[in-house]
Amino acid sequence: MKKKKKFLSSGYLILVLLFIYLPIAYVVLFSFNDSKSMTKFTGFSLRWYENMFNDRTMLQSIYYTVLVAVISTVVSTIVGTVTAIGLSKAKKVIRSAVLEVNNLPVMNPDIVTAIGLMLLFVSAKVQLSLVTLILAHISFSIPYVILSIMPKLRQLDDNVAEAALDLGATPVQALTKVIIPQIYPAILSGALIAFSMSFDDFVISFFTAGVGINNISMYVYSMKRFNPSVNALSTLIVVVVTVILVLVNIISSRMSKERKKEENV
Amino acid sequence: MKKWLAISLAMVLLLAQCVSPAAAEEFENKVLNVYNWGEYIDKQVITNFENEYKVRVNYSLFSSNEEMYTKLQSNASYDVIIPSDYMIERLIREKKLQPLDREIVTDLDNLTDSVKNLEYDPDNTWSVPYLWQNVGIVYDTTKIDPEKIEEAGWDIFQDPEYAGHTYMYDSERDAFMVAFKALGYSANTENPDEIQAAYEWLRNMDKAVRPSYVTDEVIDSMANGEKWLALVYSGDAAYILSENEDMGFCAPKQGTNIAVDAMVIPANASNPKLANYFINYILGYESSAMISEEVGYASPNAEVLAELSGPGGSYEGNDAYVPRSGNDKDEFFHDNETLRKQLSELWIKVKLHE
Repeated sequence: MKKKKKFLSSGYLILVLLFIYLPIAYVVLFSFNDSKSMTKFTGFSLRWYENMFNDRTMLQSIYYTVLVAVISTVVSTIVGTVTAIGLSKAKKVIRSAVLEVNNLPVMNPDIVTAIGLMLLFVSAKVQLSLVTLILAHISFSIPYVILSIMPKLRQLDDNVAEAALDLGATPVQALTKVIIPQIYPAILSGALIAFSMSFDDFVISFFTAGVGINNISMYVYSMKRFNPSVNALSTLIVVVVTVILVLVNIISSRMSKERKKEENV
Repeated sequence: MKKWLAISLAMVLLLAQCVSPAAAEEFENKVLNVYNWGEYIDKQVITNFENEYKVRVNYSLFSSNEEMYTKLQSNASYDVIIPSDYMIERLIREKKLQPLDREIVTDLDNLTDSVKNLEYDPDNTWSVPYLWQNVGIVYDTTKIDPEKIEEAGWDIFQDPEYAGHTYMYDSERDAFMVAFKALGYSANTENPDEIQAAYEWLRNMDKAVRPSYVTDEVIDSMANGEKWLALVYSGDAAYILSENEDMGFCAPKQGTNIAVDAMVIPANASNPKLANYFINYILGYESSAMISEEVGYASPNAEVLAELSGPGGSYEGNDAYVPRSGNDKDEFFHDNETLRKQLSELWIKVKLHE
């Protein structure tokens, strides 16, 4: 009986995993296809990878995507963290008001945010460019960072920071040596969300990017006819993302081990 | 004879050297902003243009005319855009374009007659065709007799024999074009009775053949021979036919839609002069041949058309490559937003089997 249950639950797990990973495996498989077809595998070749690396527009789109994602992640994480810490010390009325406002862009459909940003830039006579694209990405990423950090801050004991001040730490030291190390995992997860939001955004980017600036989503979306170089590109992204995730996991588990050791000593 | 050839070659080279540095100097390091459909060019053409004129081409992409139009509204400044016929009609009406410089764009004579002086731009003041095509039926010649298709034309989409074996392109204007033409009306008709009749025609089609409503996935599916019958743009059909020998193409005699994507220069372009040079460069034999060969849509350049469809060309014996000309019933779509919305509502009803 117990065995049967185990079989059922692991079978369910396998089904769920298949459901999630089969499409990705399919994309990866067809990036090695010899022909242009997306449904018939005719043989192994690397021609689509070659094609991708020879396609300047495609490489440029990768460059812009990474550039925008990195800058907007760094800025929005810093701004979001500072805001969240400030809010946690603010009056309750202000805090809840700001958090409500913060939720709006998260709930808002992307297309509304996108058109809003575009109209804002246009009416302020700001020429759409790489800068407006990055600004837009920063603006839609910040709420996610705040949302991911706030719950962690609520769990903090206010007395710890005060104790640090009592023991002679300057406010900056209290922030960097006491508060931030405690909420570090939340900051990291906020940054990861911001990064992935920026990385795969299409709608907002489309309306706020300047002339000649395409990110990966815009490039793929605009294709009049599909071409397996996109599979090659996706495969590359999957590999990069996997490596980053594995690295992040290794680093954070090492850090927590070290911390435990220190505590034991 | 040989000497004469050598001398003339040397002269040409000399001349080329005299001409191109002047042009190159004038534009050196300038940036040309080109806005085109995705996957709609041979990238080498751009590199060649950059090398010849010592400029940089900033290449952006869109996936629909409406999307491109929205982007233009934000005052973005592009130098060359490549929208479709009905969108050019709208851009001309709204005074968003500037006329081409005929001193620079001189290769208009190469245009094949079918795409010269079209109704949306009667004397090519504002636009020059980039690629063009029409709409027709791709069918499996092992399952359907070509004569039967020629005979039935669009009405083949109402033949219950092909139930479950049919793809219909999921776009209101294309689907209604089929119905209008099958009934002998204009594809741009605003007559409510004719629209109602076309709606009934499409409902009958939905009942009779139970088509799968698809968009671009039809290309791959027909190349793999998954169904017998499909409504396809001739440019895509040319690709299907070159992948799968069993497939045939037919543009029904009842008339069809001709679609042209053409190059225009927006009124707010920052480098209009270079844009004119670019347009002329694309029109030239070499560029146009490279683009048409890569994309599979018909070139507007008469010579290229003949070469690619002729003996030894990439599209030799491909019925879909050269769109038919000389049928009075073939039409362009006109820019008509109210009609489009009206058809869109009816089209949804057709697809819901209402």
